[in-house]
Amino acid sequence: MLPFRAMSSGDAAATIRQSPGGPSFLTLLRQGIADIVSRRRLIRYLVQADMKKRGTDTVLGNLWWILDPLLQLVVYVIFISIISRRPAPDYPLFIFAAIVPWKWFSAVVTDASGSVVRAEKLIRQIAFPKIVLPLSIATAEVVGFLWSLVPLGVLLLLHPARLSIMLVWFPVIAFVQFVFTVAVAIFVAATNVFFRDLGNALGHVLRLWWFLSPGLYSINSLESTNFVQEHPIIGDLFGINPFAVLFEAYRAVLYGTPDGALGTAHPPDLIALGVLLVASLLFLALCITFFKRVEPEFAKVL
Amino acid sequence: MSQNYAIASADLGVRYNLRFTRKTTVRTSVANFVLRRPPERFWALRHVTFELSHGESLAVIGPNGAGKSTLLQVLAGIMRPSEGVVDVRGQVSGLLGLGVGFDLDLSGTENILLGGAFLGLPDGKVQELLPSIVDFADLGAFIDAPLKTYSSGMQARLGFSIATAVNPDILLLDEVLATGDANFRTKSKARVIELVKAAKGVVLVTHDMEWVREYCNRAILLEKGRVVLEGSPEEVVELHLERTAAAAAARQAEAIAKGLDPAALAGGRARGGRR
Repeated sequence: MLPFRAMSSGDAAATIRQSPGGPSFLTLLRQGIADIVSRRRLIRYLVQADMKKRGTDTVLGNLWWILDPLLQLVVYVIFISIISRRPAPDYPLFIFAAIVPWKWFSAVVTDASGSVVRAEKLIRQIAFPKIVLPLSIATAEVVGFLWSLVPLGVLLLLHPARLSIMLVWFPVIAFVQFVFTVAVAIFVAATNVFFRDLGNALGHVLRLWWFLSPGLYSINSLESTNFVQEHPIIGDLFGINPFAVLFEAYRAVLYGTPDGALGTAHPPDLIALGVLLVASLLFLALCITFFKRVEPEFAKVL
Repeated sequence: MSQNYAIASADLGVRYNLRFTRKTTVRTSVANFVLRRPPERFWALRHVTFELSHGESLAVIGPNGAGKSTLLQVLAGIMRPSEGVVDVRGQVSGLLGLGVGFDLDLSGTENILLGGAFLGLPDGKVQELLPSIVDFADLGAFIDAPLKTYSSGMQARLGFSIATAVNPDILLLDEVLATGDANFRTKSKARVIELVKAAKGVVLVTHDMEWVREYCNRAILLEKGRVVLEGSPEEVVELHLERTAAAAAARQAEAIAKGLDPAALAGGRARGGRR
């Protein structure tokens, strides 16, 4: 019996044969990847449509892509200046190196969680690979991320002593983050169909995740606090937090050592980054398979 | 089974798991899991067996909630059957439900391109079909306006034009014949007849019994997810009308037995009679 095939390509002899039963892990993964590759143009259209809509309702339009991270930076700088006696030198750059990548991640995850549910009407009317929905959002947000590099670049230029050739590692780190982000996006998009509570909880989970990641502080400074010494589990959490690796990596190339000494930019921890990349790829394969497994239920549940 | 079928369905069944259907919260799920409640299940379709040859036009009729739309969703590949086998040969295009707007913020033309991508058509083909789709939808200057400015009739016209322009081997239509104004209705009927004549299979869900008698070769009567009768349009329509009348009468009798207000009865009868 031929495996299930959704209404596919334009070839006239396309045959749909449907029967119940669960295909294997590898079959699902292969189908998922084939869906993505064969519907590149659909993803492109969806991204373009997203670009077109964004900013058309607001006065400042696309300028918000630059303003958003900047305003967040201002909020945190004011907040930290009030509560902290001795922030790291060049503190704005120190935290901005983490705020910009985090905004990218949280925007994708928040938006992707509703992507399948929002397309409810379409899903009940046409057969198409639903995986394009979270993917197009992850792709569209890459553009948002690139825009937010403008204020980051300007801030970096204001600290010329911190500029270094280590910036060449930046795209590599961003790529690792992208793989991880896509995996999470696919996962939340599918899960939210069955448990709408996820949408409510996600904002809080993301906020907690952000504060538990070394974005506003460095891992070193955290390990010396009383709280972590009393609750070593918090310290252990950093071992499995992808954003501990990512933030430290971004900061290594953009800022330098956590003590704030000038001219100390260095390559990221390549072993940690490599492990994260491999783990993210595996996680992505798992998420694609999960998505493909539950995809046939979408039309029934929505 | 003949070898030359367009659609063959054998013992098809679609089961809904009500546990996941709408309004499921973590709390109720955990409660269900802890209490080991069996999942509530509901068969929207069961033991549906039929065959459609190329060039045939099959009408699916039945009361609301009989599973007609679910059947079309399975044939379109939107839903996977829980049991049985469906074999659909050839390219399928469907218009399930009114107003297939792909993106309300995009213009009509952009929606055609996006729709083509959703349907999985190659880009060259969509560009080639674009003029004829625009022409058939006949929306004038609105074709360049965002879809949200369209009336529901206009949206349905655009949807119908996209779905039928691809010249599918098998066309699935769900209650779309009654869309648009009288002028467009005539045009869309002509288009469907054209597709039927071009040796394409058509599966149509409708409440328009005139259309069934006049243009369909065969009909299926569905009730509560089961096939009550498959046969010539005349006999199936006749049985359907008989059974609706009988159901209305039974409801009336039941209502009288419960001693309901006669005014409510009149409403019930009117609803039953119109079907």
